[in-house]
This record gives sequence, C-alpha cells and structure tokens, in this order.
Amino acid sequence: MKLLTHNMLACHIKGVKNNYPFLIEATQVEARDADYNPDFLKHIFPRIDWPAFMQGAKSLKCADGLPETATPDMLDNSLFLQKFHHALLEVVLEEGALVCPETGRKFAVNKGIPNLLLQEDEC
Amino acid sequence: RQPDMRSSIARPGAHARGAREPSAAHAYARPQGLPLASTVAAAATVPAKSRQPRRLPRARDSAPRGVATRATVLDMLMKPLTSLNKVENLKEGIAGFYDDSSALWEELWGEHMHHGYYPKGQPLKSNQEAQIDMIEETLKFAGVTEAKTMVDVGCGIGGSSRFISQKLGCSARGITLSPKQAARANELTAREGLSDRASFQVGDALAQPFGDGSFDLVWSMESGEHMPDKPKFVAELARVCAPGGTVIVVTWCHRVLAPGEALRPEEASLLDRICEAYYLPAWCSVSDYEKLFAAEGLTDIKSGDWSDEVAPFWGAVIQTALTSAGVLGLLRAGWGTIKGALVMPLMAQGFRMGLIKFNIITARKPQ
Repeated sequence: MKLLTHNMLACHIKGVKNNYPFLIEATQVEARDADYNPDFLKHIFPRIDWPAFMQGAKSLKCADGLPETATPDMLDNSLFLQKFHHALLEVVLEEGALVCPETGRKFAVNKGIPNLLLQEDEC
Repeated sequence: RQPDMRSSIARPGAHARGAREPSAAHAYARPQGLPLASTVAAAATVPAKSRQPRRLPRARDSAPRGVATRATVLDMLMKPLTSLNKVENLKEGIAGFYDDSSALWEELWGEHMHHGYYPKGQPLKSNQEAQIDMIEETLKFAGVTEAKTMVDVGCGIGGSSRFISQKLGCSARGITLSPKQAARANELTAREGLSDRASFQVGDALAQPFGDGSFDLVWSMESGEHMPDKPKFVAELARVCAPGGTVIVVTWCHRVLAPGEALRPEEASLLDRICEAYYLPAWCSVSDYEKLFAAEGLTDIKSGDWSDEVAPFWGAVIQTALTSAGVLGLLRAGWGTIKGALVMPLMAQGFRMGLIKFNIITARKPQ
C-alpha cells in the first residue's frame, strides 16, 4: 500500500466520526522505483490531504525533507517534486496494519494489500 | 384480479418476509437462503397481509410457449446442481467464487471480466477488442473525457482501472471482495508499470473504505449484480463521488415491470438458478436504478439498454468453456466455477426471453 492510497482511505465503522486518516503500524516497508512523472504529480497534488500524507510519511519513515505544509508553488521546485514522488509512490507498506483513529480497530495489510472489510456488527 | 404488488428495490431482510409467503403458482420449493427474485421486489414495500396470491399467467401474457417451457424445464433440471454446496454467507460466497474462478477466466479471456460490446450491423470483432470497446462506449455514453481520480467498484483484476487510468491519466483505486483478485490486480498493474497510479484493495462496495467526494469517476462495471442492498450500493457510489463527478453503473437487470406487475413464475425461477450459481442476491430493473440515483440527488440521469450489443458474448464464452482448455480448466477450478459455467446457457436464455437486460445508468453529482 502506497501513501497515495492511504490518503484516500477512511474507516467506515458505523458511528465513527474521527475516521481519517488511518494510523499506520508498519511491520515491513519496502521501496520500489516508480516512473517519475511530474505532470501526474502536479495533477494529483490538489487532491492530496497534506497533513494526512505527512502523518503517513512519518509512519513509513520517508518524511525527511518534506515540508509540514505545502503550497502549489512548491511544485515548481524539482527537489520537492522528487521527494514528493518518492514518498507518495515509491514507499510501500508490505506488512502491517491500518488503525482506525477513533476505535483502534486494526485492518491488516498483507502482501501490500489492505483488507478493509468490516465485520457484520460494524456496518 | 390484479395482484397488489409493486416492483420495488430489494432491501436486506426482505427475503425473510418473502420466504414466509406461500404462492399457489409455484410447483417447486424456493432454495434456502436466497430470496425469490420477484417476491423480494414485492416484499420491499408491501406488507405481507395485503399481498394477494400471485395470479397464474394468462395465455396472452406469456412469452412464446416454447421459450417459457424450455426455461422452466432447464432450470428445474439445474436446480439440484446450483443449490448444491452453496455458501450461506454472501460475501464469502462471492469472494470464494472469484478466488476460485478468476485465474481460469484470465487464462481463457484475459484481464477484462465483463461483456464485450458488439455494435449492431458490424462484423464481430475479437472478444478482447469487444471488451475494450465496452469500456470506450461506456465512457462515451457517460460523456467522460477527463478525470483526476477514479474508483473501480468490484474491480476484478483491474482491467478497467488500468485501461482508464492510461487513457485519462487518472489515478485508480479498486475494491473487490476477493483477496486473490486484489493480489492479481496489483501484480498485473506492477507488470505494466502502472503501480504509481492504480492500486487495489479488499473492500466492500456497501461500505466503501474511502472518504466522501474522493473520486471524479465512480465506475461499477458488472458488479452491481452482486449487491444485496441496491439502495446502499447506490448511496455509497454517490457518497464517494466528488461534486461535478460522474457515476457509471453497467449491470444486468431484469426487464422493466409495469406498475403492479411481477415477474412471471418461469422468469423468477430462471433468475433463481442464475442467482444461486453466481451469488447474485437480488435483481431489479433499470428504472429502479434510475429512481435510486434520483433519491441520492444525482442529476443528468441517463440510461441505456445494450442487450442487443452484448448478445454474442455468452455464445462466445460457452464456446470457450467447451474447448479442451476450458474443460480442463473448469475441472481444476472446482465445483463453484463449474456451476458458473453450467448456468451460462440460462443467461443466454434470459437474454433471449427478454427477461435479462444489459443496462447502463449514468449520472452527475451536482457541484
């Protein structure tokens, strides 16, 4: 699971209000090269919740060099773009869990795939 | 006397009410655990007490005699086969079905697990080309030419997601109940160098693990059939759609019923057999979907009937199943997959009877 995915995931257990972002428990993290595509990064930047992204990046230990807040003008800076690219698309959570910020319920991540199915009594 | 039934939209729990209501027109027992297609539709809004016994179809109402008789005989023969070893829990049944059969499908048919689109009056393209055409025609019908983010609800092994994310340059998130499909989807995506933009999760379309308004394009290609709760399914599609975004559902429906009309017994029983084999818990019509879309505040609602354009598909799939590769593959894949294959002639029958329709419904979420 990449941080691009993490940025869109929210917990839908019935009644939970504080459901985003998932906290991350990282057991196994890998780095995989991804094609560097600045156009795509500029495209996707407005859709990224930056605080959630930074929280995830810290959990996956790839937040170094990234600003706590980000503004669109930073997209003209190629150093920023490269760090953004790396953290967003190249760092992969292989094994671990996503944790609901309100209930603490854990959703396992195995082989890079989060299993977000709810139990019968949670939905 | 007209029966006091309304065509309505399946809701959970409806099957419990439906199951208690005996019907004089039926000579067979309803399979355990799954609702009779037409009584689910009726039970949704009409209290049990006021429901009239279903009237026997009059001669002028039925489909041409030969078709109706053949459907009933065929599905009665099929009943013991399709009811055998059914998994009671629907989600597990669906996940298991796709865990078991996805690899065989991919081997024989490739990465797209949906119907091909074969335009009327034109020579038939190859099945794989027709499946690509289906995606293109769907986007065209919905008027979608750009998107930054899309969600693929019931993503299979990610064929649609990869195609659309390459075509429109969007990111794609897919959800499936099947862990094997999610894994295979991620694997194929990595192979094509698209891991930066498409990823696949195990998730439930009725409780989508995404925040509100996350996606410009909400895509459900032939997965709606599996949803037991159509209102919830549509509500989730609308919820995760971004303002100004587009929702597209391509799905099998039954024919549109007139007010007060119910499915005929032979129609209902055909759908039951198909339901059992493919874990399709509920059927509704394209009009029911349009009403649900409207209820969710979606606008510019448009629908189409592509039953004719997909007509060649089941014949082609059946032919593939009968090849030696198909037969061997089925034996390897196991009983669930074999059941799915055995029921294919019933799908073809359903289309010919005018009972099963292949519909598209699209709409926009207001800004």
